[in-house]
Amino acid sequence: MKEIVLSVKGLTVYRETYVAVQDVSFSLESGTDTSIVGPNGGGKTTLVQAILGILPRHSGEIFILGQPLSRKGFLRPRLRQQIAYLPQNFLVDRRIPMTVDELVGLGWDRLGFQWPWANYRKRSHAVRDALARVHASHLRDQLIGGLSGGETKRMLLAYCLVYPRRLLILDEAPAGLDIRAESEFYQLLYELKQEQGWAILQISHDLDMVRQHCDRVLCLNRTLRCQGTPKVALSPDSLSALYGTEFVQYHHSH
Amino acid sequence: MFLQIELTHVIELFQLPFMQRALIGGILTGIMGGILGSFTILRQLSFFCDALGHSALLGISIGFLLGLNPSFVLLPFAVIFALVVSYLLEHTRLWTDALLNIIYSSSLAIAIIILSFVGQYKGGLNNLLFGDILAVQELDLGLSSLLLIVCMMFVGLTLRTQMLLTVDESLAIARGVSVSTHRQVFIVLLSLVVGISIKAIGVLLVSAFVVIPACAARLLSRTFTNYVLLSAGLGALSAVFGMVISAWFNLPSGPSIVATQLAIFLTAMVLSSRAK
Repeated sequence: MKEIVLSVKGLTVYRETYVAVQDVSFSLESGTDTSIVGPNGGGKTTLVQAILGILPRHSGEIFILGQPLSRKGFLRPRLRQQIAYLPQNFLVDRRIPMTVDELVGLGWDRLGFQWPWANYRKRSHAVRDALARVHASHLRDQLIGGLSGGETKRMLLAYCLVYPRRLLILDEAPAGLDIRAESEFYQLLYELKQEQGWAILQISHDLDMVRQHCDRVLCLNRTLRCQGTPKVALSPDSLSALYGTEFVQYHHSH
Repeated sequence: MFLQIELTHVIELFQLPFMQRALIGGILTGIMGGILGSFTILRQLSFFCDALGHSALLGISIGFLLGLNPSFVLLPFAVIFALVVSYLLEHTRLWTDALLNIIYSSSLAIAIIILSFVGQYKGGLNNLLFGDILAVQELDLGLSSLLLIVCMMFVGLTLRTQMLLTVDESLAIARGVSVSTHRQVFIVLLSLVVGISIKAIGVLLVSAFVVIPACAARLLSRTFTNYVLLSAGLGALSAVFGMVISAWFNLPSGPSIVATQLAIFLTAMVLSSRAK
């Protein structure tokens, strides 16, 4: 039986004075890939940021591996280590003197009070393996400020992969990757969920990709308009309710 | 022959207790400024540091007005002031540099007005503005040593967290890092370093100890760990060379150290441009 990795109940989140996400409930099982789709400004990033504790929630409950996330975003460190997050906009200051090796290494194990040289060998091996998995071993000694958009995405993916996790949250992750890298990226996600049982939650605008790779879809436009398998959730009726009738006519004619 | 006489003169000077205290004080301040400075410039807090230094004059003047030892007033004042400014920066919609400008120029003005009422300090403004490292006492060295240990422990034990916070706060929050707690601890340490350094370097030059060695180290470093270590090393090195130059040419000590820092920074610029 699959384990519930993430459970969201009646979640409502405000952005300043307006309601960005209202009364959203869903759950995620291990070994599944779930995509959040919806129009711009529909609350997708807000939902993800509330799940991570980056944004405070107004009401509702969030459980990660059965443990509640406090209203202030606190979760036991042992559980925090089970979550990896790849943000939509990662605008690194190019003047920061940091190598890819150092940044990927920050994803390893828990942060907290420990000397920087603690477990250096284990960490170094994990970094090497993670970079190899995303075909970015050649970037290891490069400065993070000198990377292209696609290389930055690979580095961040390695940062997520460098330590064993249970939940991977991606905000438009493939944006910036070329066709080959995108294909490798989805293959990697498939391996993570099939072989290691990771639960994946990703925001996407690419409905064809969602149909092809995801097990479940959440259609979000402030509230959850529908959820289910891609076949059900991305039916013309569901998409009309989500994006409007004109979009669906356009989408099907192309 | 001339060189030998001058060298002997400098060595004799450094055998005097007040010069030894000044040298040790300079090294301690240089290391502390270098360590915290490496994060200060990347988090774009250089102007905050400058404003804090200038505003510290208000704390000193309040100490004089109340008849208290300025050293004892300065540290709590610097911490409270830094936390209030940090709160204002987070909770107002004004631009950071504009808000800092309002705060530091007004507190400087109020400090000068207060000092004009304090008879005993009418002539000592120069020492407050540019510092007097030769007046460093054993108590100051003790406080600096303690603060250096705290800074090294904090940065050393949380280095990976500090690195992630510097790169991207959302990544850090997703890992369960309390950004506001880390920010406040850093601000408190920075304000203590600035407060403790003012006696030696003065309110006008104190931010140089935090900013210049870190900028020079940035130009010469490829990895973050090396950058922090080099910044601390350059801070200490500039204090040593600055003190020697000060003794050799009979120049004011604080400005001599800052001028040495500038020379190191210019050298780093040349070296980094050649390396490209």
